[in-house]
Parts: sequence; C-alpha cells; structure tokens
Amino acid sequence: MTNAIEIRGLNKSFGPKRAVQNLDLDVPEGSLYGFIGPNGAGKSTTIRMIMSIIFPDSGDLRVLGKASAVESKDRIGYLPEERGIYKKMKVGAFLKYIARLKGLDAAEAEKRTKEWLVRVGLADTYRKKCEELSKGMQQKVQFISAVIHEPDLLILDEVFTGLDPVNRRLMRELISEQNDAGRTIIFSTHAMVEAEQLCDHLFMINKGVKVIDMPMDDIWRRYDPKTIVVEPFDSTDISRPWASLPGVKEMIETDGVIDLRLNDDADTSELMRAAANLAKLRRLELKRANLEDIFIDIVGGSAEELRQELRPSNPAELEEVRRG
Amino acid sequence: MGKVFIIAWKEFLATVATKAFILGLLLPPFFMTVAMVAMPLLMNKKAPTVYGHIAVIDQSGMVAPRIEEAFSAEKQQERREQKAKEVKETIEKGIQSAGITGKTAEQVKQQMDASPGMAAQNLIPETTLTVQVLPPETPVDEAKQAILKATGREQAADGNTARLALLVIPKETVKSSEVSDGRPVFKPYQLLTAPRLDIEVQKDIRSQANRAIVDSRLTDAGEEIEKIRGLMAPPTAEEKSVTASGETKINDVAKLLVPGAFMFLLWISVFSAGQYLLTSTIEEKSSRVMEVILSAVSPLQLMLGKIIGKGAVGLLILALFSSAGAAALIMFAMADLIAWQMLILLFVYFMIAYVTVACLMASIGAAVNDITEAQSLMTPVMIILVIPMMLWMPIIRNPNSMFAQVCSFMPMINPFIMILRLAGSEPVPVWQIPASILVGLLTVVFMCWASAKIFRIGVLMYGKPPNFTTLVKWVRMA
Repeated sequence: MTNAIEIRGLNKSFGPKRAVQNLDLDVPEGSLYGFIGPNGAGKSTTIRMIMSIIFPDSGDLRVLGKASAVESKDRIGYLPEERGIYKKMKVGAFLKYIARLKGLDAAEAEKRTKEWLVRVGLADTYRKKCEELSKGMQQKVQFISAVIHEPDLLILDEVFTGLDPVNRRLMRELISEQNDAGRTIIFSTHAMVEAEQLCDHLFMINKGVKVIDMPMDDIWRRYDPKTIVVEPFDSTDISRPWASLPGVKEMIETDGVIDLRLNDDADTSELMRAAANLAKLRRLELKRANLEDIFIDIVGGSAEELRQELRPSNPAELEEVRRG
Repeated sequence: MGKVFIIAWKEFLATVATKAFILGLLLPPFFMTVAMVAMPLLMNKKAPTVYGHIAVIDQSGMVAPRIEEAFSAEKQQERREQKAKEVKETIEKGIQSAGITGKTAEQVKQQMDASPGMAAQNLIPETTLTVQVLPPETPVDEAKQAILKATGREQAADGNTARLALLVIPKETVKSSEVSDGRPVFKPYQLLTAPRLDIEVQKDIRSQANRAIVDSRLTDAGEEIEKIRGLMAPPTAEEKSVTASGETKINDVAKLLVPGAFMFLLWISVFSAGQYLLTSTIEEKSSRVMEVILSAVSPLQLMLGKIIGKGAVGLLILALFSSAGAAALIMFAMADLIAWQMLILLFVYFMIAYVTVACLMASIGAAVNDITEAQSLMTPVMIILVIPMMLWMPIIRNPNSMFAQVCSFMPMINPFIMILRLAGSEPVPVWQIPASILVGLLTVVFMCWASAKIFRIGVLMYGKPPNFTTLVKWVRMA
C-alpha cells in the first residue's frame, strides 16, 4: 500500500518555541487517521505544513507522491481550524467559488453545490447570505467546501468543534462515507469519543513530539486494562468472595461497582461465567480502554489540569461525551 | 492563471454588484449626464411675453414724457436687442477665459445660437408695455388697486390692459430743496409693482425710471445730457499675458481646473480601488476565510487576483468619470480642451499608481487583524498620498519648476505629479515622460516583490498587530 503522506524528520520552530520536533509519519492511502494531542501540541502546525501553508525548518515531506501540497492542491480537501466564510456572499455563490478555485468548471461546480446542499439538508439556503446561517449550518457549508471537488486526501482540523449531537452524528456519517469512498482522511480533534468511533489509526502528539502512532486495534491491545466490571443487583452481594475468583489479582469497589483486576494469563470468559454464578448481576463487562484515560496517562501532568483542558466547552458536548 | 482570474472576477463583482457602489459611484456621473442632456431641453422654453401698462403719477411734470418715450415700441425692442447682445458677449468672454479659442469657440457660439433655449435673446422676456400717465393729483391708494389683480400674462383684447406697475414721482425727486455736504438731496420715488411681475421687466422699469429722473434733473440744472453721460462712462481695460508666441488672452480657469480635474480623477479612482482592496483583505482575515481560500490557491495567486479584481473596479470608476467628463466637453464642443494622448497617459499613470497603492494596501490588509489596527499603518500611506493634493497649486503655477521636476521622479507620488504637469498649459520636456514611467515601473516591481512577502507571512499571522518594523522584518525574512 502506498502512503498518501510521508513525513521524515520534520522540524518547525516559532521563535524559541519548538512546535514540531523530528517528526516521522506515514499515512497510508485509504486510512482514517486521527490526530490528537493537547492544545498547542503541534497538531495544527503539522497539518499546516502538510498543506504547505507554512514551511518546515527542516525535514522531508511528501503529499500524494509530490514534494509539496501546492502541486496537488486540487486533489486535497482541507478544512482549517480557523475557518470562515464570506459573510456577505450567498451560500451557493460561495460554494461555487471554492469549487471553481479547486479546478471544477462552472457547470460542474453549480451541479455539485446543489447536490451537496440537498444532501446536508440546506437546499433552501442556496440564495441566502452566509451570515444568515447558524453556526452548525456554516460548519456544514464549510465541510462541503472541503469535499466538493472529491479530493483524494481530506484533512479536517477540529471538525467537531461547535456542533450539537445531531450534527456531530451527521458529520461522523459524512466522514465515514468519504472514507468508504476510498479517500484518505486525517482529522484532528479534542473529541475522544469521535476519535474512538471513527479512526482506524491514531496519531498523538505532545509538546511537538510524536507519542502514539498505531492502528486502533493495537492501541486497545496495548492499553487493555485487563479488568472486569461487576455490579450486583443487591448491594449485600458486594461482600461475596469476588477476589478469590480464579485469575483475579485485585478487587476495587466504588459505589456498588466492583472492578476486578486480572492477571495477564487469566481466562476472561471462564471468569465471567464464574462471576455470574456468584450473584445476581446488573452489569458484567470486560472493561475496555478509554481514549481519554490513555490520553491523560500519556500526556501526564496533573490529571485535573488536563481534564480542564479537555473538557468540552458547551453542555451539549459534555453530555455527548458522558453518554458516549 | 485561471484561478487568478476566478478570484479577480469574484473580487470585481463583490465590490461592483453592491448597492453602495452603484449608488455612490454610478449615480453621480449618470445624473451629471442626464442633467447635461435634459437642461437644454428644459431651457428650450422661451420666457413668456409680458403685456400691460405702467401708470405714472408725475408731480414734477418732467419725468412722464421721458418714461413714455422709453417705453415706446421701438425703444423696448432696441433695449431687448442691446441686452441680448450683452448676454452673448458675456458668454463669449466666459468661453475665452475658459481657454477655448479658434474653431472650438466658433462651434460653441454656433451651438448656443442654434439651441433656442440657450440663444441669448430668449433669456430676456418680450414685452408689450404701454405707459398711462395719470393726473398728478390722483390718490395713490386708488391708483394701486388695479395692480392687485395683474399678472402680466393675460393679453386684453381692447386697449384696457392690466396695470403692472405704478410710478409715483414727487416733485422733490427731481428738484432738490435742500443741500447736505455740498450735495443736493432728493426725495425717493415710489415704484409699486404687481407681485408676480417678471424680474427682468421690473428691473427694466426701475432703470428706465431712474434714467428719466436723472435726465430730468440734468435738464433742470441746465446741463447737456449726452456730454455728462460720455464723461461718466466707465473706462475699459484690455488684459493680455505676454508669452513667447505673442500676446494671448488670459485663461486662468482652464489653467487651474483641467490639470486639477485630471489629478483628482486619477487620485479618486486609485484611492477607492485601494480602499476596497484593503477592506476586502481585512475581511478575509478577520472572518477567517483566508485559510480556506489558501487551501485552494497560493497566497501569491490570491494577492494577484485581488489586485487585478479591484484594479478593474478602479478602471471602471476612472472610465465612468472620464467618459462623463468627456461627454460634457463634447456636449459643449470643448473637446479640444484635452488632448486624446492624455487619456492614454492617464491610463498608464493609473496603472502605475494603482499597483503601487494596491501593493501597500494588500500588505497592510494582510498584516492586521481588523480595520482599527489598519488605521495606524494607514496614516503614513495617507500622508504620502495627500502630498499631490497639497502640491496642486504650486505645481500648476509653475509646472516646470525644479520642485515640480524633482517630485516627478519621487516614487509613489510621481504619477499624480506628472498628470498635473502634463495637463497644464506649459509643455513638459518630452524625456521626462518615459523617465517618470520608468521610475514608476521600478517602484511597482519593488512594491510587488515586498508586498508578496508581507502578504504570504501576514495572511496567517494572528495576534499582536505588526508595526512597520515588523513588516520590514518580514520582507527581509522570506
């Protein structure tokens, strides 16, 4: 499989601050790559260098087989973190303008603009001014502007910010759809839930240095907490001999929920059967790694401080994260 | 290159297809043209003929016959012709002082005569006035009753015409009974007129009455009227300026107005286009649409497209105003006033001035975050751009002074200065035209180079607004 993006030894400094240090990265064609990392870690800087909007101090960078994104701009769709629209321009005119700039002819630009607006439920906004749209609607229009020319590589910076749960789901579907059509997609996000659900690869950067770059399956394997969660119906059942089940290393009980930490060689299916026989249970599950925990684990520092940083800004987002 | 023109076209439409632009820039030339076409049509109407009589109560017994004579049919006609001649002479003088001579002047005169509205004699209303002398003891209150209803428009079938005016001349108006500081003192007379009497007619009655009274006084004092009049006639002066090609009549108005108009035309089109470029660049930056656009085109393409698009707006403004001006000149057959090669030079200097200013505006627009931050960077640019405005007078007065020549080679302002000098009356040394264009082109090349660098760095730079030192650093950095 060829790589859509190949980065070797990339460096970029802004004054004394080293934004990206010695970065290597391969993004295979057709993959859905998630970029995560705390604020100021270097995600947007990396993306901007991939887009040739800023230039690296040193290192090699190949995009779609070319030495620079400038040479293949029409094959790349890009939704920047700092994105806007022409307030006074009509939605239809704006999308057609972008489509024309991406190399489509006038007729094709018009046709695709109309098709896309219908698809995201904004057909009636064709003649409206961009400033009349709500923020969510503007996000959709911006997304269309990134994909209207059917690019081979799609780069989405902070694509879930500011969307309500309904539109988050729509955006997730649109991204999956683009990936199913064979497009390579890179998206950066702070929304761990979306990252977990969407990515097949995860790339994590912290203080300009790559800390994770592997397929999601490998992440789950490596960060498998080896824990079974048990919640009995009757709180008196908490006192049963959970810790003496075969393979259990340690038992931690909080608010009627028991975490059973397992030995590395424990037979999980056997153990779960045994647990079910011990008491009537409300919940019995194999605990899976949580991206947020992994994130905090790797980034280190005070968990509270990081949680603060990661906390979604609006209540809808918070709710979504809790439910997810 | 295709993308550059897509941007240029969008930028052009974004400015031109707005209500503000259409109202602000298209309407004034449109109205000017309409006014110029419509005015002669409206003025076509002749002033209506005035009918009626003037009643005179003459207590001196000397004035009434003179007034009767002054308002005889022949005298009325004579005065009308005399006035028409004067108006015509005034207009001709005006044409001369505007710098129009020779063939063009003849054309203007012919056109004025041909147009019934502009023909001088039509400016004076035709009158059919008679004088009715009332007995000296007639009560004024009774005599003035007849005036109330008169308008001067209706023509009576019989001799019983409307009373338009009543002159009451006391004896003391003609014969002085007292003397103050060696001068005889006279009583005023009364002139009572109908409320809607034509102002020209009113003026005529007043001046004829004055004349009749003064003549009566002179006769009464035993003087010869014609001799006194000859002595009192104001002297006339013949004014000419001496030049190498001989004596020519002074044409101050043209000397000042034409170069000024040319420079103002250039200035307004360059500056409005530059201003549009600045605000649209700032808008792209502050609305964060910049990076979206830059994912499709390079900063250089964007800048080029914007400069071309707004330049087309500037050219449109230039074309609109200059064609409105040209239409006006053709209308009044004054087309000789401008040389057609001036228009070509106007275009060349517009391009130089515009690209220079546009590069500055694009750099400033790209460097700042919003319009308020642009103000501090704009101030020095504005100071430079205002210089030609301030130098207008001294340069027109002396287009070939050392000062004017030096200014013609100063980057940034030289297109404006050259246009001022070229449109002036004194010929500019021929070598200075290509030389100043060369200076302009070198400025353009430098500005393009520097602003491309500033633009590339500036467009994605948010945060602390830069000052000029930072801009210079950016130029040297890339």
